[in-house]
Amino acid sequence: MILYTPLPIELVSDGLQEMKTPAAHLIDLEGVTLMVEDAGPGEYKVLRLLSTNPYDYLRPNLHPGAIVKYQR
Amino acid sequence: MFRERPQNQEEFPFLPDPDDPGHDPGFTPGQPPEKEPGNDPGRPGFPGPGDPEAPKRVQGQRKESMQALKELGTNVLPEIKSNIHCLTIVGQIEGHLVLPPQNKTTKYEHLLPQLVALEQSPEIEGVLVVLNTVGGDVEAGLAIAEMIAGLSKPTVSIVLGGGHSIGVPVAVSARYSFITHTASMTIHPIRLNGLIIGVPQTWEYLEKMQDRVVRFIVEHSRISEAAFREMMFRSGELARDIGTVLIGREAVECGLIDEVGSVGQAVKKLKDMIAEWKKNNEDYNVKI
Repeated sequence: MILYTPLPIELVSDGLQEMKTPAAHLIDLEGVTLMVEDAGPGEYKVLRLLSTNPYDYLRPNLHPGAIVKYQR
Repeated sequence: MFRERPQNQEEFPFLPDPDDPGHDPGFTPGQPPEKEPGNDPGRPGFPGPGDPEAPKRVQGQRKESMQALKELGTNVLPEIKSNIHCLTIVGQIEGHLVLPPQNKTTKYEHLLPQLVALEQSPEIEGVLVVLNTVGGDVEAGLAIAEMIAGLSKPTVSIVLGGGHSIGVPVAVSARYSFITHTASMTIHPIRLNGLIIGVPQTWEYLEKMQDRVVRFIVEHSRISEAAFREMMFRSGELARDIGTVLIGREAVECGLIDEVGSVGQAVKKLKDMIAEWKKNNEDYNVKI
C-alpha cells in the first residue's frame, strides 16, 4: 500500500501497532450478509457489507459504522 | 352446572353473565380482541397501513437521525427523493490496510459497489462528488476516480476544504469540477515513507506509480503533463518539501479544475447536465 498524502506518515500511522483486529463475525440481516462487531447487547456495528446487490450499498442503515439490531 | 355469581354485579362488570341474552356465546379467549377506538383505521387522522396517503414515518427513522446527530453532528433531512446522489469523500482514502481510528477514512470497498448502484439505479440521474480529502492510498483513490470517470450519468465534483494528493485525480474524474475560493490542492510526488531507495528498480517502481496518477489527471483535465510535472517538482512552495499548493482560482487557471464555485453553482451545473443528458438519451426516458 502506497500512501499519497501531504500528511506526515507518523501522524497517519500513529497507533497502528496497538490496533487490534475487531472480533468480526457475519450476520444475515434481512437477506444481506454483514460483517459486524459487537456493540452492546443485541446491537452490532457494521464493518462491511458482503452483498452482491449494489442497491444494498445505497441503504444508509447498512453503511459501515451503523449500528444494527440483530437477535441471534 | 353451578357457578358462583358475584354478589354485586356492579363491582365485576367484566365477568360474563351466562344468563344475559346480550352475551355472545361464541366468544372464545383465542379470538382477536376488538379494535380499540384509537386504532380504528376508518377514523380520520389515523391512516391505516394500506392508505397510500399515510406518511411513512416509523420510529426507526427518528433513531437514525439521532445517530447521525451523535456521530456526525448533522441532522437527517426529511426524506425527499432526490435525483442527485451526493458522494462524500472525506479524510484519508483508505486502502488495503485499515488505518488507525484517529483517521477519518473513506472506505473504497463500500464506495465501489455504491457507484455501481448509482450507475444502475433509474432514480439517480446525476452524482455530486463532494471532496474534502487529504489523500490516501494510490490504488484505492485511482479505483474510485476510474469508477466516477466511467459513469455514464452526469457527474460534478466540488473541492471544498482540500483535495490533496490522490484527491486530485478524484476531483478531476467528474465531467465538470468546481473548487471553492478558499479550497487548496497540494500537488507533490509520491514517496515511499521511511524506505530508503536502495536499488534503481525501486525508483522505477515509484516512477510507474507516479505515471499512473499523472496520466489519469492529464487525461481528465485541461492541464498538460509538462505543466503538471513542473508543479509537482517545484521547490520553494512547500516549507520542507517539493510541490505546489493551488488555492481556489489558481487550480482553475492552470487547467486542473473547470470553475471556481460552491454548492449552488455545482448543483445548478449538474441539473443543466442532467437536462442535456436526458435530451441526448431518448431511450433513457423510455426505460423510465
